Amino acid sequence: MSEKNREGKRNARDKMMEARAAEEAKARRNKKLAVGGVVAVVIAAAVVVGVVVQNERSKPEAPTAAPAGTTGDKNLVIPVGSADAPSTLTVYEDPRCPACGSFERSFSPTVDQLEDAGKIVVNYHIVSFIDRSLGGNGSKYGANALACAQDAGHFRDYHDVMYRNQPEETEDSFGDKQTLIDLGKQVPGLDTPEFRACVNDNEFGGWVSAVQQDFDKSSFKSTPTVLLNGELVYPKKGDEQISPENLVKWVDAANQGKQLGTPGSHGQSPAPTSTAAESDNPPSP
Amino acid sequence: MASQQADRGRVDGLRRAVDGAAAEWFGLAVRLGLAVVWGWAGLAKVSDPAEAAQAVRAYEILPESLVKPVGWGLPFLELALALLLVLGLGTRIVAAVSAVLLLAFVAGISSAWARGISIDCGCFGGGGAVDESQTEYLQEILRDTGFLLLSAWLVYRPRTKLSLDAWLAA
Repeated sequence: MSEKNREGKRNARDKMMEARAAEEAKARRNKKLAVGGVVAVVIAAAVVVGVVVQNERSKPEAPTAAPAGTTGDKNLVIPVGSADAPSTLTVYEDPRCPACGSFERSFSPTVDQLEDAGKIVVNYHIVSFIDRSLGGNGSKYGANALACAQDAGHFRDYHDVMYRNQPEETEDSFGDKQTLIDLGKQVPGLDTPEFRACVNDNEFGGWVSAVQQDFDKSSFKSTPTVLLNGELVYPKKGDEQISPENLVKWVDAANQGKQLGTPGSHGQSPAPTSTAAESDNPPSP
Repeated sequence: MASQQADRGRVDGLRRAVDGAAAEWFGLAVRLGLAVVWGWAGLAKVSDPAEAAQAVRAYEILPESLVKPVGWGLPFLELALALLLVLGLGTRIVAAVSAVLLLAFVAGISSAWARGISIDCGCFGGGGAVDESQTEYLQEILRDTGFLLLSAWLVYRPRTKLSLDAWLAA
């Protein structure tokens, strides 16, 4: 065997090994690329599917069914008081919000009187965001029960009963529908099969979500948010602290020289201090 | 001489700790730990789409047109990362994506803190405006930094036990 021949053999073997190494490197690279591709596809597919599914699942911003007598362009507002009252009090409240409870307990007699005198109409936005941070369903179910009461023409009374029986914020008793139905028994004329079914079936759940989404998009971040003719009055109006006396004073000042609304035109029971007899007026649509 | 040998021994020990089987078991624990984090974070944000959108909106960073796509897509991105981490598929890439996402979260939380707005980070559901006294920016940032360390380890040492990556490489 010649020297030359031996050398040639070695070269051939080297070349073969080089080629094999290159092939293996290529295969490894391809595998990496394939894995990277699979990862990218999985992530992209998940995101696309997620957006589509959540879009499908989310409740519309304009509700398909709203309680009778609601107002606003999407029927998200529950008005109490005469529609032609010269002043408007706008109130954003969550059924579970403790500050709303204390606001209601100190102010509801005054607010009721102002409504009954035709001085104000109160636009309630019943929001439900406390469930998000604390878990549970008390805000949502409570808001739905209020919508049911509005539908039955007993919003004001049920609203007062609810806030007088408000649990601790962390205690989710409004998340129990039976509790909400039992509270309805304290309002004459409200404890009907329709009301019970409305609470149990969460009939206005879509509406409740729409009201909350509207609040989400607003610039208000907490409850209670209270505005008198568009101006924030809670906890202060300018430098002046809100109080029942100050609220009356502010309303009277705003109403100066204006025609008062038709008293009691919303079919709710009158304010506690009013002398009018209690009556179960039919709901005004 | 002796000290040199000790040095070499220490270096070898370190290399074994970072490259050996023990490190791959450690990597498995890190990988599954991060998977639990993403899985939990994702699941907590799926149930209420409006809440997820509001958590994003509350940062006041993204324009309204992106609020819903991000609020709705993000939980599923997190779930996808969780799935890939459980499988151990493309661990290095997935860990890198995790790290980028966590950096974005830390940046978002820091930005909210710096601008003085009061929100819950919405990291594990919830989110939105909270009372000033209830903000937990520092805890949220430290927590995300911890998760960032897990991701960094997997970028550094993506080879872990019981992974599809290891199975494919065999």
